[in-house]
Amino acid sequence: MRAEIYHRTIVSLLVLLLGLPVAATLAYSFATRWGATVLPDGFTLSWYVQLWQDQRFLAAFFRSLVVGFGTLAIGTVVVVPAAFVVFYRFPALDKVMGILSLVPFAVPPVVSSVGLLHLYSDGPLPLVGTPWILVGCDLAIVLPFLYRAQANALGAINLRDLMDAAHILGAGTARAFLMVVFPLLRKGLMASLFLSFSLLLGEFVFANILVGTRYETLQVYLYNVRQVSGHFTSAAVMSYFFFTLVLTWLAARLGR
Amino acid sequence: MSIVEVSGLAKSFGQTQVFQDISFRLKSGELVTLLGPSGCGKSTLLRCLAGLITVDAGRIAVDDRDITGTPAYSRGIGMVFQSYALFPNMTVAKNIAFGLAMQKLPADEIAARSAKVIGLVELSGYESQYPHQLSGGQRQRVALARALVVEPKILLLDEPLSALDARIRKSLRDQIRDIQQRLGLTTIFVTHDQEEALILSDRIFVMDGGRIVQEGTAESVYAEPASQFVARFMGHYNLLDGTQSKALLGIETTGYIAIRPESILLSDHPTETEEGIPGVVRRRQLLGNIIRYSVESTGVSLSVDRLNGSADDLLPEGAAVRLRIDKSILREVH
Ligand SMILES: Nc1ncnc2c1ncn2[C@@H]1O[C@H](COP(=O)(O)OP(=O)(O)OP(=O)(O)O)[C@@H](O)[C@H]1O
Ligand SMILES: [Mg+2]
Repeated sequence: MRAEIYHRTIVSLLVLLLGLPVAATLAYSFATRWGATVLPDGFTLSWYVQLWQDQRFLAAFFRSLVVGFGTLAIGTVVVVPAAFVVFYRFPALDKVMGILSLVPFAVPPVVSSVGLLHLYSDGPLPLVGTPWILVGCDLAIVLPFLYRAQANALGAINLRDLMDAAHILGAGTARAFLMVVFPLLRKGLMASLFLSFSLLLGEFVFANILVGTRYETLQVYLYNVRQVSGHFTSAAVMSYFFFTLVLTWLAARLGR
Repeated sequence: MSIVEVSGLAKSFGQTQVFQDISFRLKSGELVTLLGPSGCGKSTLLRCLAGLITVDAGRIAVDDRDITGTPAYSRGIGMVFQSYALFPNMTVAKNIAFGLAMQKLPADEIAARSAKVIGLVELSGYESQYPHQLSGGQRQRVALARALVVEPKILLLDEPLSALDARIRKSLRDQIRDIQQRLGLTTIFVTHDQEEALILSDRIFVMDGGRIVQEGTAESVYAEPASQFVARFMGHYNLLDGTQSKALLGIETTGYIAIRPESILLSDHPTETEEGIPGVVRRRQLLGNIIRYSVESTGVSLSVDRLNGSADDLLPEGAAVRLRIDKSILREVH
C-alpha cells in the first residue's frame, strides 16, 4: 500500500514536471496577454490564425515535409532491400551495419556538421545551402531507426526457410521477397517511418548550420521567429507538438 | 512414384565438410527415413536434393533424368520444413494455393485442387484461418498440404513431427504414412527419433558425421547394427568393451559386444546350482508395458527389459538375480 502511494507520487510528479511546460505553452498560445497576473487577461485563437496565415510558416512547414518525406522515401528504398540482403545472404554483416548505424549517435551534430560544411561547401559537390545536404544528413540520422526496425523484424522470422519454401513452390527471390517477406516487415517499417519523421521535424542543428535560411525548415523558422511574440511562438510550438504527437501515436499504434 | 538415384554427393561450407560420398537409391513409392543425430547433415542433404543449395560433387537423378543442376521449382520435389515455414501473412487457403498460384493456373483449378488436399489432410473449415491461429499439428498439416498440392514426384519431410507433443506426433505420424501410401509417393523422412524411424519406414538410412553408415529395413537395422554408433543410436543396447565382455562373458573382442536389453533373461529366485551370471538389481524403471532393470554384475551395469506382467514378478532394488545371455544373439561391433 505504501509502495503504491510512493509509486503514484513519483509518477504524478514526473507527469507534472514534464507536462507543466507543455501546459503553460499551450495556455500561453491561447492567451491574449499574460503579464503580471496569475491568469491571462483573456483567451483567443488569433495567434493560431495569424500563424496558419503566415506564408513563411507554411513554406517552412512544407519544406520540412518535403525534406522528411524525401529522406524517408530514399531511406526505405535503400534500407529495406539492404537489410534483406544482409539477413538473407550475409548475416555476418549485421554487426557491421549495427556499428555503421551508431556513427550518427557517436558524433555530435555540431561536430559532424563542421565536417560536412568543409566537405560540401565547394569542390565537385557544393551541397551546402541546398536541401540535398539536409536529405543526406537526415538519412544518416534515421538510418539506425529504419535499419534496426527491419533487422528486428527479419531476425524474428525464419527467413531462410520462408524463402526456401517459396523458392520450391516456384517463386523467384524478388517475388518471394515481395509476397512473403515484405508483408512481414511492413508493420515495423511504418512504425519506424513515423518515428523517424517526427524526429526529422524536430532536427535543428544540422538544418541551421548546413542550410539555415537558404532553405528555411520548421525548426529554423521557429528559431528565427522567437523574437516576434511569445504567444505567436507558443502557437507555432504547439502546432508542431501536436503534429509530432499524432505521428508518434500512429507509430505506436502501427508498431503493436 | 519415382525412382531416385543419388551418387557421390558431397557438400561443404567453407572448411566444414557437412557430408561426403552420399549414394543411395530409392524405389518408387518407398518411404525411407534418414535417421541421425542433430547436426549430422540431414537438413543440408535434403536442401541439396531439393535444389535449394548446390552440391560440390555428385549426381542426383529422378526417373533417369539428371536434376543435379535443375533449379528447385522445376525438380518436382515437395518439401516440408523443420520450422513449418508457413507464410504468416497468408491464410491457410492462400498458403496451400501458393504453389499453384505461382504456376499461374486458372482460379477454379486452384480452388479445386486446394480443396482436395485440404480434405486429404483434414483441414476443412480452417481455410480462412491464419497460421498463428492454428495448433502445431494443424500447422504441420498445412505445410504438408502446401507441399502436396503441386503433386510432387518426391516428398521430403524434414523432422516434421519433432516440435509436436507425443500424442499429436503419433497420430500425425500415422496420417503421414497413410497419405504417403495412398498417393504412392516416394518419400524421404528425416528424423532423429529412432522409434519414429522404426515404425514408419520401408527402409532406414542411418547417418553419422556426414555419411550413411547403415541402410536396411527397420528389422535389419535394429537387429544387426553395423557399428557401435548404430547400436547406441538404435536402441538401448548394452555395449561391453573388451575387458567388460571378458569379465562377464569370457569373450575377447577388440571392439564392443552389443546385447539387446530384451534378450537377457533374469531368473529371480536363483538357486546355488543354477546356471547364469550372478547379479544385483540396482534400479528399476517403468516404461509402461516394459520394465527396465539396471543390473550390476562383475562390475558391469546392464540394462535388462522384461515385460510388465503381474505385480508378483516385480524385482525389488537390491534383489539377487541370475542373468542368462543367449550367446547366439550377441553382436560384435566396432
Ligand atoms: N549455411 C551454412 N553455413 C555453414 N554451416 C552450415 C550451414 N548450414 C548447415 N551448416 C552446418 O552443417 C552441419 C549440418 O547441419 P544440418 O542442419 O544439416 O544438420 P541436421 O542433421 O539437420 O541437424 P538437426 O537434427 O539439428 O536439424 C552443422 O554442423 C551446421 O553447422
Ligand atoms: Mg535439420
